[in-house]
Amino acid sequence: MEALLQWWETNAITRLFFSFEVIAGAIPVILRAFPVSITFGLGSFIFGIPIGLALAFLKMSKSRWLRWPATMYVDFIRGTPLFLQVLVVYFGLTLLPAYQDLIKAYPWMKQPFLFGIDFTVYLRGFFVLSLNSSAYMAEIFRAGIQSIHRGQMEAARSLGMTIPKAMFFVIIPQTVRRILPTMTSEFILLFKDTALLAAVGINEMTQRARQFAAGEFNMSPYVVAAAFYLLLTIPLGRLVARLEEKLAESEGGSTAGRPSPIVNRVRPGDSA
Amino acid sequence: MTTATPEAIVRIKGLKKSFGSLEVLKGVDLEVTKGEVVVILGPSGSGKSTLLRCVNRLEEPTGGEVWFEDVMVNAPKTDINRVRERIGMVFQSFNLFPHLTAKGNVMLAQRLVLKRSKEETERIAVEQLTRVGLADKIDNYPAQLSGGQQQRVAIARSLAMDPHVMLFDEVTSALDPELVRGVLDVMKLLAKGGMTMLVVTHEMGFARDVADRVIFMDDGVIVEQGSPGQVFDNPRHERTQDFLGYIS
Repeated sequence: MEALLQWWETNAITRLFFSFEVIAGAIPVILRAFPVSITFGLGSFIFGIPIGLALAFLKMSKSRWLRWPATMYVDFIRGTPLFLQVLVVYFGLTLLPAYQDLIKAYPWMKQPFLFGIDFTVYLRGFFVLSLNSSAYMAEIFRAGIQSIHRGQMEAARSLGMTIPKAMFFVIIPQTVRRILPTMTSEFILLFKDTALLAAVGINEMTQRARQFAAGEFNMSPYVVAAAFYLLLTIPLGRLVARLEEKLAESEGGSTAGRPSPIVNRVRPGDSA
Repeated sequence: MTTATPEAIVRIKGLKKSFGSLEVLKGVDLEVTKGEVVVILGPSGSGKSTLLRCVNRLEEPTGGEVWFEDVMVNAPKTDINRVRERIGMVFQSFNLFPHLTAKGNVMLAQRLVLKRSKEETERIAVEQLTRVGLADKIDNYPAQLSGGQQQRVAIARSLAMDPHVMLFDEVTSALDPELVRGVLDVMKLLAKGGMTMLVVTHEMGFARDVADRVIFMDDGVIVEQGSPGQVFDNPRHERTQDFLGYIS
């Protein structure tokens, strides 16, 4: 047993990537950054929803003056690397006069806010990630809304409902059910993307792992970080599969609405 | 312009509707009096569904006038939602709201559009669902109901709004044959109760038994109209004769 342990800690590959010693040291450090990553993922997801919904409605508008800007925005965001967006927005925001005025007006923003990180960092992190995610959500919402049978809107309207009422009480509730799996997938992707915030020095899991790894000349902290990401993404991935099954069942059993699966989002460059 | 008989509830004058270059309605004139049951027959593509959908402006007419009571339905200034409150419509594909129970379906527009109290809404929902023979299904979701039951819920949903006229757009065409009867029975009951009804259907038996007037449409115009006896037994036009010969 001892010999095996000895071999494990001296062999080039196991020592470099799976050193028990380094892992033991890295776990508490990265564990402390786990809620930071979750906060950025969840917060950006929540802020992204209303922006995405607004973009979806703009994209479905009859007026080209509303449709075109929204389409261009969505195309731009989805067609450029998130890494680039993080660099531009995260640093770009600080250079805006309005941003500087805001900080001056509310100095508490520069104080540690949550998990020892100041509020402006959260603000800018949420900003860039929700701007990014909202573009993907816009497509999910649009596809979801348009997948609802036309007859639903006609039935609601023929009962005297206005378009907003029909949207809110008839179309959107059905859309929510239908896009739940895709939205969960979107959250998984967004949660993984929080790792890119390491590029601007935010102390989320990947950044912490990077610091630890650099100090030890060892890759094992990255393996720890990976394990923490998987802790959330694997169960959520299973949930997506179950939600999809349930949806297929309920839609198959109904004679009214026609099932129209929404294709899972694939980010440009995601697949090999 | 306003020389209509006082009890006319729906008045259609020179109605035209085109989809792009396809002219579906080529000038239709029709008056429906209060309490009248008008059945519209015709081959598919003759424009009968489009005519019905122009009455509550689900389709925007491209010409002519549609009047409901004292309101011109297709006038730009008309608040169409006010008009639709009083015009019930039942569709071929039921279009029940799948996320709501039978009761929820009947309640929603009463609450949102008529602003009735929750208690009143609920009472009326149960009442109307009982009327269409579904007292024991009020808490079922549409997916748990047969097509015929779904269609009866859709009728109850419209009736709950106290419509002055009901539009039925091929409401039994999507049903299995054994389920058609239950829906037609509900419609017969409604007709007996004095409801004004505009019915597009292929159910000749229903037309013969229930209609006060039968209209035969073809190629975007009304070809012939009259009492069921007149149209079915003594059709004057060749096209009507062909259609009836083909159907029966």
